[in-house]
Amino acid sequence: MANLEVPKELKEEAKAHDMYLHPIDKDTYELFFGPQHMATENFSIILKMDGSRIEKAIVNPGFLHRGFEKLAEQRPYFTNIALLLRICVPESDVPENIYSMAVDEIVGWEVPERAQWIRTVVLEMARMSAWMFWIMGFGNEIGLYTAGQWAAAYRERFMRLFEELTGGRVYHIYTVPGGVRRDIPSDKWLRQLRDTVEYLKGKMKDFDEILFDNYITFERTEGVGVMDKRFALKHAVTGPNLRAVGVPYDVRKDDPYLFYPELEFEVPVLREGDSLARVLVRRYEMEQDLYILEQLLDMGPPSGPYMVKDARLKALPRFKPPKGDAYAHVESTKGDFGAYVVSDGTHKPYRVHVRGPSQSHGVTVLEELLRGARLADVPVILKTLDNCPPDIDR
Amino acid sequence: MDMNEKPKVEEKVEEQKTKEVPEVEAPKLPDTKEGKLVAEVLEKAPYAEGNVRRERRVEFKVPADRIKEFLELASEKFEMLIQISVVDWLKEGEFELVYQLWSVSESVHAFVRTRIPRENAKMPTAMDIWPVAETYEREAHEFFGIIFEGNPRLGPFILEPREYEKHPLRKDFNTLGYVKTIYGEDFDRYDESKTNYVI
Repeated sequence: MANLEVPKELKEEAKAHDMYLHPIDKDTYELFFGPQHMATENFSIILKMDGSRIEKAIVNPGFLHRGFEKLAEQRPYFTNIALLLRICVPESDVPENIYSMAVDEIVGWEVPERAQWIRTVVLEMARMSAWMFWIMGFGNEIGLYTAGQWAAAYRERFMRLFEELTGGRVYHIYTVPGGVRRDIPSDKWLRQLRDTVEYLKGKMKDFDEILFDNYITFERTEGVGVMDKRFALKHAVTGPNLRAVGVPYDVRKDDPYLFYPELEFEVPVLREGDSLARVLVRRYEMEQDLYILEQLLDMGPPSGPYMVKDARLKALPRFKPPKGDAYAHVESTKGDFGAYVVSDGTHKPYRVHVRGPSQSHGVTVLEELLRGARLADVPVILKTLDNCPPDIDR
Repeated sequence: MDMNEKPKVEEKVEEQKTKEVPEVEAPKLPDTKEGKLVAEVLEKAPYAEGNVRRERRVEFKVPADRIKEFLELASEKFEMLIQISVVDWLKEGEFELVYQLWSVSESVHAFVRTRIPRENAKMPTAMDIWPVAETYEREAHEFFGIIFEGNPRLGPFILEPREYEKHPLRKDFNTLGYVKTIYGEDFDRYDESKTNYVI
């Protein structure tokens, strides 16, 4: 047998950092899962293992922290858009929107209808492309790589549409307080969006066959990481994870914003609360999102300006909203994403506090769900909770 | 579907509404579901101030020593603690804690505000009411140095251990100065002759 003894200096150094490199006793040992593991996405979990069962899990975030909230206090209001959208990479329009909505509320701007329509379309497109991103991750975790590759290809269609609309593929810097930065490029763009929606509607069946109705998915997710309704509410779990335990809470329905009150859509709810329920809720939501986009396109963009008319907008760096504070939130694919903005009357926000949905379901909930699970279930639980580390670290 | 839960809560509200005979000293609350909700909470907690900001947004001001009591009371109506925001009012020498609550049954968002002095900032934990408070309190402790009594996991969480005692989101924390001391000469982008530096 090879000599597995860890050098003494290394042990001491590890101990100084509160880590232990040796087995804790004969049967249990400590395992560092992430941040290099591709399932965790710059996130780390320290697992205390007993064989292949997890005895205890400790979440260890902080590999991403970029101090956005502090930086936002040092920049003018409009410059912050280019900063805060980096919080959530797969759907960067969500931080843009919540921040803009909160600033709108502080200033008291009534955003023009056309801008509201564009914002709704952009949010739904962001949700759709984030679902594709999620399928890519989840498909890879359980070994169904084909589904992931398809999803990445379909996401590319949205990326192209975004590029034409905003000039950026991933980071759009498009929604700003008071409206949107520029108008829809042309009718051709709307036609292309409709084509994409039609195309994806047809492809949902393929996803069902390869991923959602697949024996492997059922085997890997059924009965894994179960939580109940009371537990989920006490831990402020939101989004599809909450709807998978039987609570029909959706920000778009319960605290309507933009064009959502005028749209017809369902909030899918399942009751089991296991990983399979969370996967299926997401699959139903994709269908609803495509339906919402279709309705918006049928409605057509309302005519009018895409930005509020305000003399203060002429000198953007010195734009000063009145004193006050506001909280705005939207439904993202991860859950209830919110921002609390405080203004003290100067040209920089006094405080910006972003509520990432993973902050609630990615720390204590994850630790609870991982207890007693198998090592192979860790990526499944992580992906079905849709844990987004930048929400926690920011 | 748990749609059957909504009428239940409404019925309860109705029942309690019929029971209460004396009106609260009329802080001009509108006759909406938000106004009724605020009136109901204020009746049980006369030490707090409350008002309706707009549709689906209500606000309470609570003295710091009774916050625990108030949150326990509020948790009957507001099932979720959405987040705990801390605002550092440097000139007044106070931290403002905003407990943001969401009521799933009533669809109302509540700000519960309380102020504590900056020096030796201490608060009781809300973990026993909402376990998720553990995470938010760890964050508030790390970034602002507020001690939440009863939370066992206060300590380095997101930041590196060397930054743990610095509390970087306080207003008197000098970001540029800190970066300079850590990175020294490597940080050559910083030019002292420039004023109005936006990092």
